[in-house]
Amino acid sequence: MSGGLVWLLVGLGLGVLVVRRRSLAVALVTVQALVLAAAAANAANGADAAAAAALAVRAVALGALLLFVVSRTREPRPVRAGIAPLARGGLAVALALALTWLIPSFGLDSRNVERGVIALVAFGVATVAMRRATLFHVLGIVLAENGLALAALRLPSGSSFAIELGVAFDLTLVALVAAVFHERIFAEFGAGDSAALRTLRD
Amino acid sequence: MISREALAFAAVGAPAVTALVVAVAPRRFVSVLAMAGATVSALAAGALATVALARPGSPFVEHWVIVDAAAGLFVAVIGAVGLGSALVSPGYLASTAESLVRPAWRSRTYYGLLFSFWAILAAVPVIGNLAGAWLLVEATTAASALLVGFSGKPRALEAAWKYLILTSLGLGVALLGIVVLAARSTAGGLHALSWHELAAVQPGHAALVAYLLLLAGLASKIGWAPVHNWLPDAHSEAPAPVSALLSAALLPAVLLVAWRASQALEPTLGAGAVHSVLVGFGLLSLAVSVPFLWRPLPWKRLLAYSSLEHMGVIALGIGFGSPLALAGVAVHVAGHAIAKSVGFYAATPLYAHDPRAGLHPSRGIARTQPALGSVLGGSLAVLAGLPPSPLFVSEVMIVAGGFAAGRPWTAAASAALLALGFLGLAHALIETTAGRAAPGGSAAGRPGGLRSVVVLASVAGVTLLALTAVAVFIPGSDFVDALLRGAG
Repeated sequence: MSGGLVWLLVGLGLGVLVVRRRSLAVALVTVQALVLAAAAANAANGADAAAAAALAVRAVALGALLLFVVSRTREPRPVRAGIAPLARGGLAVALALALTWLIPSFGLDSRNVERGVIALVAFGVATVAMRRATLFHVLGIVLAENGLALAALRLPSGSSFAIELGVAFDLTLVALVAAVFHERIFAEFGAGDSAALRTLRD
Repeated sequence: MISREALAFAAVGAPAVTALVVAVAPRRFVSVLAMAGATVSALAAGALATVALARPGSPFVEHWVIVDAAAGLFVAVIGAVGLGSALVSPGYLASTAESLVRPAWRSRTYYGLLFSFWAILAAVPVIGNLAGAWLLVEATTAASALLVGFSGKPRALEAAWKYLILTSLGLGVALLGIVVLAARSTAGGLHALSWHELAAVQPGHAALVAYLLLLAGLASKIGWAPVHNWLPDAHSEAPAPVSALLSAALLPAVLLVAWRASQALEPTLGAGAVHSVLVGFGLLSLAVSVPFLWRPLPWKRLLAYSSLEHMGVIALGIGFGSPLALAGVAVHVAGHAIAKSVGFYAATPLYAHDPRAGLHPSRGIARTQPALGSVLGGSLAVLAGLPPSPLFVSEVMIVAGGFAAGRPWTAAASAALLALGFLGLAHALIETTAGRAAPGGSAAGRPGGLRSVVVLASVAGVTLLALTAVAVFIPGSDFVDALLRGAG
């Protein structure tokens, strides 16, 4: 996998963290997963082709589900995050750099891919931590799992298909349950804003 | 004779089939079918546990299925708690009309989710592969999150959302650890992640980082500090029978995954590193829980922080790793599950008796409703470790096991924290049972669901006393030897 492709995936991930509109962020994670699927399809062996199919189906299904949820829960105006986009991006990049520095090479076929994986997981965590809109929390998880899908594709032992299938199953389940709760939260509080979910404290 | 593999499938299959049956059965039969399914599921779990514990020295170990002493213990716990939760569920469903779904679907949705959750939980101890275990643990999140938010109340939605997002993100981190382990493995394919092949991971910094990522991710699901934020909210807002399953079955089942991974990676990473990480999580969880155990909290939140404490104690026992400490761990897992589930079951009649108990500390319940007060007091006494509670015996074993393992300072610190936790829970016990009850707060008459809870508490009391009596014979047994060997 070329360095350019890895940095394209990372750039799309950073986009999810900074964009304001939910539909745009859904489009970014979907494109990201489709790019991963295309990269897997380009590889020569059969296991990678199966992994590519699993990734592509997951990307389209999740994208459709999340866009459907967005259409059913129209916000009068986007939920504002507590931190400005530039600051969010800066903090997430700092987290990614710190993790890249802390985590040694772990055996994927290139250090660039390893850095890309770490960056995507860091951006996923940062999205959940810094975005208030509930749908962005789900997107943060999808973003982190796209990073893991990238890692699974580059595994030397060829277990990528099983891992991609597992991740796809897991993400679909979690996203379906999250969609149910997102709609209920929207109906109950009038917005998909996690700031309304702060009553349970000791 | 039925094979252990077949029994493992039965222990998982019985609740899975029940989930399907209650989902399609006519509404008037749902409750009866659920009770019948729960009985069959518990019997299947009991049969598997009996076979596994009868021959702890000769475990059944394959790439995808494992039936060993630990699996026997944890499947027994899951079966017992599952049965108890199913038996008290009619009381919960009768106590409230609110739910995420429309009334006609309420009962079948609840039981369908409950049995799905039970089936996935029962599969966790018998799965022989780390990747499979991760998938099952993640699947428990989906089923149990819907149960946590089942009432559809704003507080329940908040708790369910936090639980879903935080644990899913945590398990994402754990999956990164698994991918790194797969990349470092000398064996190929998914079999490289089976418990007995995991030792083939190449040693080095990356393997240690993978282990840390795996444990940190699983910690978010086990509820170890500092990634326990969802735990008090989910336990307090879930329906009482589900709270029992979360605390007494889910947390220990995920902890078993961490335990198996630690044992499998010990030859690669070294005992010192692996044990230190577990001891660190254990000590931190104990230290974080103690201040909350000293505060006046609503009943279910108090029990939730007690879960944080007890998961910490179990982590310490596994981290000490000596035979005595592991004997303590086995007793602790069983004793905690029984006492904690009874405590949660009692929440349904408690809320009927004192509707403010969901948001405020309960006081003087034994004065206004002696039978309910006895159940609450008994549960807290056992959880506090008041002799003759089996948790007193297990905590002594674990602390003594820490000294035996050559960790005197950690063992001493654990003993001090356990003593502080005991004082907090003892104070809560006195206030809950004999404190001054708030005027006008209690409903007159016998609260709904109390009879079944009292019967279950009586059975639990006898079982706990038997566990205390048996506990002293566990150190040095074949069972502890099998726990020490692990799945490798």
